[in-house]
Amino acid sequence: MTSHFGLMVVFALFVSIVFATLMRDEPREQLKFAGRLFLGFVGAGVLIGWLLYPLPL
Amino acid sequence: MPATTADRAQPDTTTYLICAAAWLIPGAGHLWLGRRQKGIVFLVALTFMFLFGLWLEGALFPFQLAEPLVALGALADLGMGLPYIIARATGAGAGQVVAITYEYGNTFVIVAGLLNMLVVLDAFDIAKGRK
Repeated sequence: MTSHFGLMVVFALFVSIVFATLMRDEPREQLKFAGRLFLGFVGAGVLIGWLLYPLPL
Repeated sequence: MPATTADRAQPDTTTYLICAAAWLIPGAGHLWLGRRQKGIVFLVALTFMFLFGLWLEGALFPFQLAEPLVALGALADLGMGLPYIIARATGAGAGQVVAITYEYGNTFVIVAGLLNMLVVLDAFDIAKGRK
């Protein structure tokens, strides 16, 4: 649960739910929009993680 | 969308009271305006996000104007309203800098406050009859 990826997933879940509820009125639309946002957040996080992988810190 | 209190614009005084309620208790503005489903989602999601941040050893930042970033963090924390006040009063949110989840906790707490500010603005728009 406290892994970087796990926390990113939980964070994406909370933010997706709130944004979707703010931006859509119908529950079905909210669910679809929240799902798309969630996948977008997690996908972008993984992609950016891989892009940063070769960079030395 | 079913007819709600929000379908007509509210008087200015009521609008500001709605905004104050929305800030104090996440989702209360939407509940007041008859948007029950949205209000409950905001209440549950934002409260859990804030508590989750505290559980991760996140800190409630003090208002230190000498350090602008800390002051901005404090302002964002304040966006949570009553949960913030209760956490501050009970000594929660002291933050453990050495905890591995400290920065994650800060992120959850700060973003919960910022999202509640967006929710307040949404309640304001609904009360004004714009949505």
